Amino acid sequence: MGKFVRLGVAEKSLLVVILLQVIVIQSLSNQFLTSNNLMSILNVSSLNIIFAVGLLVVLLAGGIDISFAVACSVVQYVTASLMVSIGGGNWAIAVFSGVAVGVILSWINAGIIMKFRIVSIVVTIATFNIYFGLLMFFTRGTSIYNLPAWWTDRLILWEHQSEKGVWTELTLPVVVMFFAVIATWLLLARTNLGRQIYAFGDSLLAAERVGIDITRTYLIAYGWLGLMVGIGAIVQVHYAQEVVPNALYGRELDVLAAAVLGGARLGGGSGSVLGVVLGVLVITITQSGLNLVGASPYAYRMIVGAVILMAIVGYSRPFSSLLAKGLRKFGSGS
Amino acid sequence: MLKLLRFGLKAVAVGAIILSLSTLALAQDNPRIGLVVKVGGLPWFNAMEQGLQEKGAELGLVGQMIGPTSADPALQVRAIEDLIAQGVEVIGVVPNDAAALEPVLKKAMDQGIKVITHESPDQENAHWDFEMVSAKGFGEAHAELFAKVTGGKGPYALYVGSLTVPLHNLWADYALEYLAANYPDMTLIGDRYGVAESVDDSRQTALDLMAANPDLVGFLTFGSQGPIGAGRAVEERRVADTVQIVGSFSPGQGMKLLKAGAIDGGYMWNPRQAGEVFATLADMLLNDIEIVDGMTIDGLGEVHPDFENGNIIVDQLQPITTSTVDELAAMGL
Repeated sequence: MGKFVRLGVAEKSLLVVILLQVIVIQSLSNQFLTSNNLMSILNVSSLNIIFAVGLLVVLLAGGIDISFAVACSVVQYVTASLMVSIGGGNWAIAVFSGVAVGVILSWINAGIIMKFRIVSIVVTIATFNIYFGLLMFFTRGTSIYNLPAWWTDRLILWEHQSEKGVWTELTLPVVVMFFAVIATWLLLARTNLGRQIYAFGDSLLAAERVGIDITRTYLIAYGWLGLMVGIGAIVQVHYAQEVVPNALYGRELDVLAAAVLGGARLGGGSGSVLGVVLGVLVITITQSGLNLVGASPYAYRMIVGAVILMAIVGYSRPFSSLLAKGLRKFGSGS
Repeated sequence: MLKLLRFGLKAVAVGAIILSLSTLALAQDNPRIGLVVKVGGLPWFNAMEQGLQEKGAELGLVGQMIGPTSADPALQVRAIEDLIAQGVEVIGVVPNDAAALEPVLKKAMDQGIKVITHESPDQENAHWDFEMVSAKGFGEAHAELFAKVTGGKGPYALYVGSLTVPLHNLWADYALEYLAANYPDMTLIGDRYGVAESVDDSRQTALDLMAANPDLVGFLTFGSQGPIGAGRAVEERRVADTVQIVGSFSPGQGMKLLKAGAIDGGYMWNPRQAGEVFATLADMLLNDIEIVDGMTIDGLGEVHPDFENGNIIVDQLQPITTSTVDELAAMGL
């Protein structure tokens, strides 16, 4: 398990914050530590986690992608239109089409970045506008509600009814998220490729000197995000039961913020799968906790911001050294 | 490569000139009305655009709708700035935040542009605001239906589109007042939740609130995506029989949930008709036709305007039930 459990500063700080949240929310509402609430938190985090582990690979390689969320909407439209035009389709065709379109859109980004050596944020802001513009132009903003039943019927892989009659369910998005997390961890921690991606983001020059193939590494990093976008597209339609052109607009910033909160460094070379998963969870738990304890919705944004700040201050260098100094003083004083 | 780039730039420049010439040609012929809605891409506003275009064509107006990518007041301000720069004759707005638009609407009026708003009573710096239903009528009709389907007692949650949408909050105020006066056994949990403009947010909040309040009897929601999101959540938790949902929604989008019993009903008005009214009022303003008490206006019926605050409010409630939903959905709503 090595890398997966070795905790960095960011992971530790986030775990502490989550622990504090759980204690506060549980003591105020008594509803947090129930199986159906915990499952529901996984449920609502699943899409963001799928996106976040994909984005992590790109961030590690020193890139960034602003366009992936709207690319995901493009994938949904193309796939949904394809399914409708072939008169139904099935999971295999949908996943294949989704992943293919997702990877192609992601490789367009990678291709432009590499070919013209342009900073990735600039390229993906441009493609973000192009993808969303194309989507709005061709769809005229109309949604698709009539989707095949196999796609939108809920798949429950495990269920349990409590004595009070509350159902706890393990649904498809959570299972898919689990596989996405494990696969990304295997890629990064257990393969040569993963080590190369880290090295690449750490120092492009050094990576090139030791003979890492730049083109291949970039295509793999962006291709991985494209894969997650394709899978995420199918999953989001599955639970939302409709395709709405601007449903995912703005999601890119939520995911990026969560990934950075989880310790993924902008500029590359540092970050972990566990970190970004915790980053997403901290934000979901905060929002869900506010609902559980019955806090005023007028205060939501303020509290979410404060929690993010708390987690980040927790793993900043000045804070760690302050803490260390404090502990030393405390140690010598006693 | 450089050659290709130069060629590309030329092509774009030529294209831009042709485009601006063609819009210029149109501008000379017909007065233009620019309609800024809350968010683009929602079926509701697509229907409104349809009404605007059709009625506009009939009256000789060129209608254009701008739908911002998110429900952000700043994006609406920018869209209106763009319309002023284009020199349109009439601006119509469905505001996300009434106060945020005041300065830019003043600027439009100062330049002689006619301003019409919708879903924003008492709007400052507008010639007229029109409402297809009165806030009181709409809020109370929903409250009464909600009380009926929930049995009139127990804890419930209230959604609005966002905490700054004036009309949603006014409906919510009237509904709360009505429930408090007539059904004292119903208790509101938390405060109102500003999530009903997003399916995902409405669904997540509903899941959380049901977990926190096991005896919740229902969701009363104002904002078109609220019933859909809450309906999905209720279906997921398999509590459609015990948790009731009442609110206004797009019939095509909510048809399945309504028939499955997850959503229990609601009222609406016809956004397509509202789009038509934008064109009709624009035409009246441009032709200096005075609006007087008791007159009949196409799409609004007999009106009794509130001249002091510039409101024209009528009551055209359309119930959404299992028997009306098919017909409404067939209209593209």
